[in-house]
Amino acid sequence: MDLYELRRQDYTLEEISQEVLVAFGDFFRDQCPTSVVRAAEPLGFDQDLWDRLVEMGTTTMGLPESAGGDGAGVVELALVAEEFGRAVAPVPYIEHVVTSRALAAAANPALDQVLAGAADGSHIVALASFPIQPGSRQLVPAGAVAKSVLGLAGDDLVLYTVTQSPAHVRNQGHTPLAWWDFDSVSDRIVVASGASAQRIYTRAHDERMVLMASALVGMTESALALTVEFSKTRETMGVLISTLQGVAFPLTDIATNIAGARNIARKAAWFLDHEPDERPELPAIAMVYSSQTATHGTTNAAHFQGGLGFTLEADVSLYFLRSKGWSALAGDPSAHLVDIGDHVLASAK
Amino acid sequence: MDFALVDLDEEHRALQQEIREYLGELFTPDVFAHEHETGDGFNSKVYKGLGAKGWLYPELPVEQGGAGFSLLQRKIMDVELDRQDARVMMMRGTSSLPMSAVRKYMPAEVSQPILKACAQGEAVICLGYSEPDGGSDIANAKVRAVQDGDMWTINGSKMWTTGAHVSTYTFLVTRTDPEAPKHKGITMFLVPLNTPGVTIQGIRTFSGERTNIVYYEDVQIHDRYRVGGVNDGWSVLHGPLDAEHSIGVDMSGGLTELSIGVGFAHVLGRSINDVAAWAHKTTGPDGRSMAEDIRVRERLGAALVEFEAGVSTPGPMGRVRASDALVKQAAILQDLVGPAGLLPMDEEGSIGHGDVEYAHRFAQGTGTYGGTVEVFRTIIAQHVLGLPKASYPGSKVFLAGKKKG
Repeated sequence: MDLYELRRQDYTLEEISQEVLVAFGDFFRDQCPTSVVRAAEPLGFDQDLWDRLVEMGTTTMGLPESAGGDGAGVVELALVAEEFGRAVAPVPYIEHVVTSRALAAAANPALDQVLAGAADGSHIVALASFPIQPGSRQLVPAGAVAKSVLGLAGDDLVLYTVTQSPAHVRNQGHTPLAWWDFDSVSDRIVVASGASAQRIYTRAHDERMVLMASALVGMTESALALTVEFSKTRETMGVLISTLQGVAFPLTDIATNIAGARNIARKAAWFLDHEPDERPELPAIAMVYSSQTATHGTTNAAHFQGGLGFTLEADVSLYFLRSKGWSALAGDPSAHLVDIGDHVLASAK
Repeated sequence: MDFALVDLDEEHRALQQEIREYLGELFTPDVFAHEHETGDGFNSKVYKGLGAKGWLYPELPVEQGGAGFSLLQRKIMDVELDRQDARVMMMRGTSSLPMSAVRKYMPAEVSQPILKACAQGEAVICLGYSEPDGGSDIANAKVRAVQDGDMWTINGSKMWTTGAHVSTYTFLVTRTDPEAPKHKGITMFLVPLNTPGVTIQGIRTFSGERTNIVYYEDVQIHDRYRVGGVNDGWSVLHGPLDAEHSIGVDMSGGLTELSIGVGFAHVLGRSINDVAAWAHKTTGPDGRSMAEDIRVRERLGAALVEFEAGVSTPGPMGRVRASDALVKQAAILQDLVGPAGLLPMDEEGSIGHGDVEYAHRFAQGTGTYGGTVEVFRTIIAQHVLGLPKASYPGSKVFLAGKKKG
């Protein structure tokens, strides 16, 4: 890597981005308190909340203007993701948005009907995490509410559509996971082939990592906020636990990780929007760092509430269970690290 | 947000080229050899060479010996200096902080010649803050200054006065009112280090850097070397400190670094590049390139994640994060390359001219420089998380078992 490049390091948000952040922050705070999150368990989908999110323009903002969208970039989508994660909202925001964008990028007239349904939120779409191989099934994030799943099958990028989504499988993160047996799906559209299939899929995968990284930042921040408040009222040995370095210092580490993870995710989003070929390893870096931040952050946030933090009744449990329940859907960090390392090695040649 | 390459116009490109060539001539191999041997963080030839062009403190106006550089011009300069060797530039860093206090608080007839000498690279200033039993708690200073007419008598000792043996002056924290609350009895002086009664004793650190203990024995200083009001030292100290450590908004359009630990992260960045280059040139026990080895690929990936965390975490949090990243990753990269990672720069077969070997030793100091990471975690706890002040073992509240809000 070139350590001596004359690049700006400006992480400040433009006014319009700031407005997106505030608008969606307000929306999720008002419309998605933790009671809504709990009521949507175990499926992890609230149709009413989804409808209101669609009314906000969430399913069209990231689509290109040619597909009836607002042409928002990954930066704006990542800001929404941060607020979505902060509320751990039971809606398939990330899967639906990145898959819709991939379909729009393919510019294939055969997809018009699906795209129209995706834009108005009536036809939920999702992305298969692994290449689709005959004779094998896979767990698809949002697969229990999606009607179409986009995946790589050999050299083709194929959209699989069903009239009824497969049955939900209960899972640690209370997300709408489902097994998809693609062999049994006969409605298939080849979206793209060869290099273009690979390019569209990789881009969707990168966008998913960046949005997931942002969502995990918001989620971890919610968990930290609960524990900071707890630590300011809980006493031990006659003192507030927050006055003890053994509690305060680990909490500062969570805050520190959050601040860095937020910036890395936003930077990765900026590069996807402006110079996608310049730092191809950044989405994976954002994903790995946010995953570490969320795992460590929610674990400790629960821990510093002691036995109370171990109970289902404590809201911190919502974040603890979802930190892994969401991050594990975006791939093994160890595999991402190998990919990142390959970029380091390639740039050193 | 903006992470784009800065689009330099012809004038700035010419400046960049001029700086690059000039630094290339100035930073000769003997400069690095001298630094490696002495750990001075200073080189007279380099400082005078930069001073002659007004480039030592180029942010200063021309009439003060600088070059009146804009933010962009400064950024160009900083990148080019970083490309050479930041270690030699340490005494520039310790000088610039007191220079602004000297300019602000001392009478012009005293400050002008001092600042001029600094700008020309003829003089440097070291920081006389820490004391043998004080560590990072500057406000607890015990070095005593007693006034008698126009003269002050200074007694005591300072620790970690890095660069004292190459400096002209030290920016000294003294206790002038032992009865007052600790922040209110402090006075600052700019003490010429050739004053009788000053004794400097070197201390070598395992990063190679030399630091010093400085003894003050009945040192007589004229009142004109006082910086700021008597017993007003804390505000003199804090003006520049606050400017340096502000958790403020970036007003520079991304031309200043976000993390105050970015220098630490860059030491890690150099090691990452060196290890990647090593992997391409090295064959593993199975006859395949080490660049194909899964351990190398994964660990380089992990190191780059940590590098990004170091440069992307803002302000004081970035200082803690970059230090943690360097400490952990420098050790891991050394394990990865094996015994060759133990060879210093001038040994045949060392990796990246000894960068990998150096990083592990240097890393350890980063947890302490400018206040330990624990001091910074305390600041973060109070100012970022809004937690109450810490309770310390031995404090009355524990001993009496009393409640404290």
